[in-house]
Amino acid sequence: MTIPAVGIEAMNVYAGVARIPVAEIFTGRGLDPSRLKNLMMTDKSVGLPCEDPVTNAVNAARPLIDQLPAADRGRIEVLVTSTESGVDFSKSVASYVHEYLGLSRRCRLIEVKQACYGATAAAQLAAGYLVSGMSHGAKVLVIATDISLVDDRSGYTEPAMGFGAAALLIGTEPRVLTLDLGAFGTYSYETMDSARPAPTFDVAAADRSLFTYLDCLDNCFRAYQDRVDSADFGQTFDYLAFHTPFAGMVRAAHRKMMRDHARGADSAADFEQRVGPSLYYPSRIGNLCSGSVYTALASVIDNAEIDDGARVGMYSYGSGCSSEFFSGVVDAASREAIREMRISERLDRRVTLQFDEYTRLLEGSLSCLVPDRNRTIDSEPFLPLYAKSGERQDLLMWTGTKDYHRTYDWISTPGGTDDD
Amino acid sequence: MTIEEVFEVVRSSTAKVLDVDTSAMTLDGTLTDLGANSLDRADIVTQSMLELNVKVPAREFKGVTDIRSLVEVLRSQVS
Repeated sequence: MTIPAVGIEAMNVYAGVARIPVAEIFTGRGLDPSRLKNLMMTDKSVGLPCEDPVTNAVNAARPLIDQLPAADRGRIEVLVTSTESGVDFSKSVASYVHEYLGLSRRCRLIEVKQACYGATAAAQLAAGYLVSGMSHGAKVLVIATDISLVDDRSGYTEPAMGFGAAALLIGTEPRVLTLDLGAFGTYSYETMDSARPAPTFDVAAADRSLFTYLDCLDNCFRAYQDRVDSADFGQTFDYLAFHTPFAGMVRAAHRKMMRDHARGADSAADFEQRVGPSLYYPSRIGNLCSGSVYTALASVIDNAEIDDGARVGMYSYGSGCSSEFFSGVVDAASREAIREMRISERLDRRVTLQFDEYTRLLEGSLSCLVPDRNRTIDSEPFLPLYAKSGERQDLLMWTGTKDYHRTYDWISTPGGTDDD
Repeated sequence: MTIEEVFEVVRSSTAKVLDVDTSAMTLDGTLTDLGANSLDRADIVTQSMLELNVKVPAREFKGVTDIRSLVEVLRSQVS
């Protein structure tokens, strides 16, 4: 049997319609400004009280679905939502997403959870399914979607946490990223570095999480080398796209890997060349959980020299913990596919909030995972933000719950105004 | 290994990560005193583990407050 190429056919990132400069949060919360440079971030995306994990997932995936011919849409045979922001212990986010994307009823639905690693596990398992010959020509839609639960209790995690989703269409016509099949290294063990014990707050042991991220990266890469004889951290990959809890973490990770695996190289220059392009989007959005590494990949594709083909080394890490180093190839077709999503332009057009506006929104949005039996969300106050954001696609809004069933509605965005 | 030998590994890891003169480093000081931020500290710990060829569970570092307690945790894992 000839094994077909497999990977990402189409990909989009949705990062909300609002943002706040990270420096504003430092000032507003009285955080030590000398630590701002360690984050290496400019903005973070901010959710609205009428946005939740379902709306993020749908708003990220809808452009991919809209551009697919009807016949291909029907070939999406598995829908996976990867989230640490589940809305029910039993009913998946995917069940709502399936409805609002209008996918075929001959489609499997599943939700996965492994903190910021879940989407990569799903994508790799999907790739194996697709090349197995079990269902020739099938496609799998993997959506990493989350909301953040950070506020003044969260210290330096608050400015780093983003908001949004990344949607990946996995298939055997991989226009965006062709996976290096069989080239991967994984590493997992139980640890309590961060978690979400309840629907209203996270716990995080920051120092432990930094340590496990670095520990897993080194061990994942060694496991990758065990499968790929010639793999060399300094030479094999034209670009690197890592899970980006904040860009400064990736800089520290790269520094460590260069010291251990590429001694003698100019680490700072290598960072600018091979890592820099992956950080443009994450440093403007914040941590997108399991969508973060794909946001970094989109950033590489949109911002690096890849037209003649380039290999990208990717690292996905999820607290708790499970992690993977893997790789794939991108080229001019990848750039064309990602450009259609206008990610940079949409990030630019997010509405910039003042600190007091931000804290007012938090009051409404921090309870979005709380399972109220009945709730009505008045979306009226937020409509001007949608209008100003310049989104050109219809967006899904969360309108509340009826007997625990979440309700949604579409908002038609006018394509933005220029008076903001 | 003696405390002094493990301390020398931590000192050499600190010098590699921070690229600073560590001659004044002592067991009673902290990595923060030497200019290490939280990322640097995590990097120094993983580098020290690599050089000592030990794998220390993350939870073992919970009570680490200074270089002496870090050295003691690492030393307890060296066979």
